Amino acid sequence: MPDEPRASDYKSDVKPIWCPGCGDYAVLAALMRAFAHLRLAKENITVASGIGCSSRFPTFLDTYGIHGIHGRVLPLATGIKLGRPETTVIAVGGDGDGFSIGGGHIPHAARRNVDLTYIVMDNNIYGMTKGQPSPTSPEGIVNKAAPYGAQEGPLNPILLALSYDVSFVARCYSGKIKELTDVLIEALKHPGFSLIQVLSPCVTYYNTYDHYREITQPLPSSHDPTDRLAAIALALQTETQYLGIFYRDSSRPSYGERFDAVRAKAPQTTLAAIFEGLKR
Amino acid sequence: MAKQLLKGNVAFAEAAVRFGLQAYFGYPITPQSEALEHLSGRMLREARVFLQAESEVAAINMVYGAACCGVRVMTSTSGPGFSLMAEGLSYIAGSEIPVVVVNMMRGGPGLGNIQPSQADYFFMTKSAGHGDFHPIVLAPASVQEIIDMMGLAFELAEKYRTLVLIAGDGSLGQMMESAELPPMQPLPALRPNWAVTGADGREPNVITSLYLVAEHLEEVNLRLQAKLADIRQHEVRFVEAQTADAELLLVAYGTSGRICTSVMRQARQKGIKVGLLRPQTLWPFPAQRIGELCEQVRGILVVEMSAGQMLEDVDHAAGGRVPIRFHGRMGGMIPMVDDVLADLQALATSLGLAP
Repeated sequence: MPDEPRASDYKSDVKPIWCPGCGDYAVLAALMRAFAHLRLAKENITVASGIGCSSRFPTFLDTYGIHGIHGRVLPLATGIKLGRPETTVIAVGGDGDGFSIGGGHIPHAARRNVDLTYIVMDNNIYGMTKGQPSPTSPEGIVNKAAPYGAQEGPLNPILLALSYDVSFVARCYSGKIKELTDVLIEALKHPGFSLIQVLSPCVTYYNTYDHYREITQPLPSSHDPTDRLAAIALALQTETQYLGIFYRDSSRPSYGERFDAVRAKAPQTTLAAIFEGLKR
Repeated sequence: MAKQLLKGNVAFAEAAVRFGLQAYFGYPITPQSEALEHLSGRMLREARVFLQAESEVAAINMVYGAACCGVRVMTSTSGPGFSLMAEGLSYIAGSEIPVVVVNMMRGGPGLGNIQPSQADYFFMTKSAGHGDFHPIVLAPASVQEIIDMMGLAFELAEKYRTLVLIAGDGSLGQMMESAELPPMQPLPALRPNWAVTGADGREPNVITSLYLVAEHLEEVNLRLQAKLADIRQHEVRFVEAQTADAELLLVAYGTSGRICTSVMRQARQKGIKVGLLRPQTLWPFPAQRIGELCEQVRGILVVEMSAGQMLEDVDHAAGGRVPIRFHGRMGGMIPMVDDVLADLQALATSLGLAP
């Protein structure tokens, strides 16, 4: 068996342009470590993204990558996976990209159970456009586009994913890179759609490192990740942000498998037979 | 009101408030987010509506809803966001409701970049959505003109019950210059009689773009076209400079038009008799005036921050009567005065007009 590849093998020669201290550095490092741990060949990985600071991600990896359209990373990644089923496809983006403009695509990726790993780097703010409230900003947050406080309450991404019946749901914190790497390894191995919310603070417009250090803790060791109701109960606890794998159902067929099964039922035909049929 | 130093995006947003904007719905996108940020506080202080939507699709549909209720409403965006709005723009046009949208154009296609561009000309003037319609498209060239055009935009939108687009670009949105804002104007006292306001004591108003019977839809299409013909006849606007003795004509709008003012000044100093026509409405386009000038000038230089989009309208207006040259920059690059001047001199030389 050849030596395990190094995480740095997956790094491109483009230096990340994120602000010093941005949580996304840890996610990039953890994902490369997960690739190395799983000995994935670079040429068999595609990383797709939407728009936002975190969506600069594919540029910094020496894998295949597509920097896509704002909010559309899941359809984009679905197309890649169905076009090249043998590749490992990772979708990345932020909370604005994934839960605001792109929120409508999550339930459909979930019900198809496309074999994708979707990493949402959630900084609770629109960082790239310089600090407007995002769909996970706390109610009352004061910033440039909410000088008197945002009126909307935040989404609960884990609860949403569980309600949509995403087959692998996890929350991580970029301040805990070891645990993040372990979860990403599990997510990459998961044969279906996995959604990982990574609390990934924006040091420039909404620095939440201290806050998350205080309110995050690992899921109770007694938690059974096949118990969806228990997962939902834990997701409902927002005062404490639990970290780890909330839910995992590895028994469900992926979209590819279901597609193959349905296609097998369609009769084989030839172009000549179709033309013949039209004559009658 | 005294002049003050204003950023383009803040200027049009504040002007909209003063011209009686009652509701704003938008989504952050560079290079126009300052407008959304300005309105987030300003509208609330005036007890009016501001909402940061979850996407441009949501924003334009919120605008659609508010406009149906007879509320003075707008949104603002840039290229990619404007693309997302296209479906809504078509429904708004089909429903014949007044809506104003500002597009601070940026480099494209696709994600492109956030530098200034004029490459949405075709999209804004000819195909802002499916179906037969044209929005009125206004093209400001300075911060002052953006302010003035906000008032005009609401006026035209409501007069014709039509979609009015303001075609700015990233540099107009981001630049700061001295400009004067209008005084605060009172909000409209009444909502228009076509609006959905509750049908108590009157027949219900129906606002729709759905006509399943072909004959009915064609009637609507013909009525829309008649309205567009009316707009084409009455609302063409442009600025003309030094055309009285001009042998050459520069045609450019917005930021490019402004650059061409400098080109014209320098060319005149070199003895080149050049004039400038700067369209302020891109639709309806000042085709007739350009056609008239073709009887006088010997050649035209069109300058745009695109691969040549308005060029096609100029070409059509000129009808082959004079040679047309084009100077275009793309990708967020801005035409430089010296480069345009060189092209103008080359045109003059080719026509035997060089001094």
